[in-house]
Amino acid sequence: MTKKKILIIEDDKFLLKLYGDKLRRAGFEVAESVTGEEALNKISVDMPDLIILDLILPKKSGFEILTEFKLNPKTKNIPVIILTNLGQESDIKRGLEMGAVDYLVKTDFSMNKLPQLIKEKLIKR
Amino acid sequence: MESKHKLSEVISIVSHQFKTPLSAIKGYLEVLLNQDLGKINLKQKEYLEDAMENTVRMIALVKDLLDVSQIEQGKLDFKVNLSDLEKIIKGVIKDFSSFFKAKNCEVLFKALNKIPLINIDSLKIEQVIYNLISNAIRYSGTKGKVEITLEKKEGNVCFCCKDNGIGVPKEDKKKIFTKFYRSEKAITFSTGGSGLGLFISKAIIKKSKGRIWFKSKENEGSIFCFSLPIN
Repeated sequence: MTKKKILIIEDDKFLLKLYGDKLRRAGFEVAESVTGEEALNKISVDMPDLIILDLILPKKSGFEILTEFKLNPKTKNIPVIILTNLGQESDIKRGLEMGAVDYLVKTDFSMNKLPQLIKEKLIKR
Repeated sequence: MESKHKLSEVISIVSHQFKTPLSAIKGYLEVLLNQDLGKINLKQKEYLEDAMENTVRMIALVKDLLDVSQIEQGKLDFKVNLSDLEKIIKGVIKDFSSFFKAKNCEVLFKALNKIPLINIDSLKIEQVIYNLISNAIRYSGTKGKVEITLEKKEGNVCFCCKDNGIGVPKEDKKKIFTKFYRSEKAITFSTGGSGLGLFISKAIIKKSKGRIWFKSKENEGSIFCFSLPIN
């Protein structure tokens, strides 16, 4: 069975390693980007099945990147999970209204639940 | 006033900066405790759990600081919806079950009459309930007894949390809702608190158009209550 591809957009190297390793161990193929531009370049070559997106990023914010994904016919149907430390109700509402399939706050979320959550989102797709 | 506002902004920025490394530390500890990278022995597990407990404490402190800065900037974010207060209380008690078992503390809850659904920010009110129950357990010592009641009374819903703990000394009663204030007795008794929980709780209840109060007798116990309007 082909491995599902997950693209992680996260600018903190420790979190990127943590998420990447966790998902590889769970049997996913993982691509990593630290900026939105880099992510868009990667997507143009190899389309992921799901994207994990941080919001506070260099150059373009996660919200700007999500807008671009949703406007692009090639990427608009890829499920995006926001994984951030912005936990304000207004941010959560904005992220979900923009089309993210889930919104997780890093400090409150258990890493151990991430692989299962991704599997559930991929089944619903 | 302006410098106070700027200080709050600085606290807000610094707290956000703390969240990323704390998330990473918590995540790495979870991976190790989950034995993803191999088996750990009992002593290693105990040490990792201690590290996790302290990381979670640090995260809670950072969140409290963020709340304080938002309160002081008048930016406390509220999302009001029709909520079941009884269900929220039961959920918080469930979350605390291992904590009060470890402290050998008995926690009882009773709704004294039928409680209607009310329009509140459920997460914020849950935070207040969490703070009050946490204080009651923390300052009760071993073999403590915490009695929680919920009652519909004259157009309000009233929550009370009574303990048989160390109580609040007379000289501290006026300062207890002040930011960062912890009485000498509380500091001697427990190292866990930050002195922010009651300050935040008061701000949340005030913004919810409710009232918060307490009665206490040193060495006998305290009762902390809040009421929220039904409409």
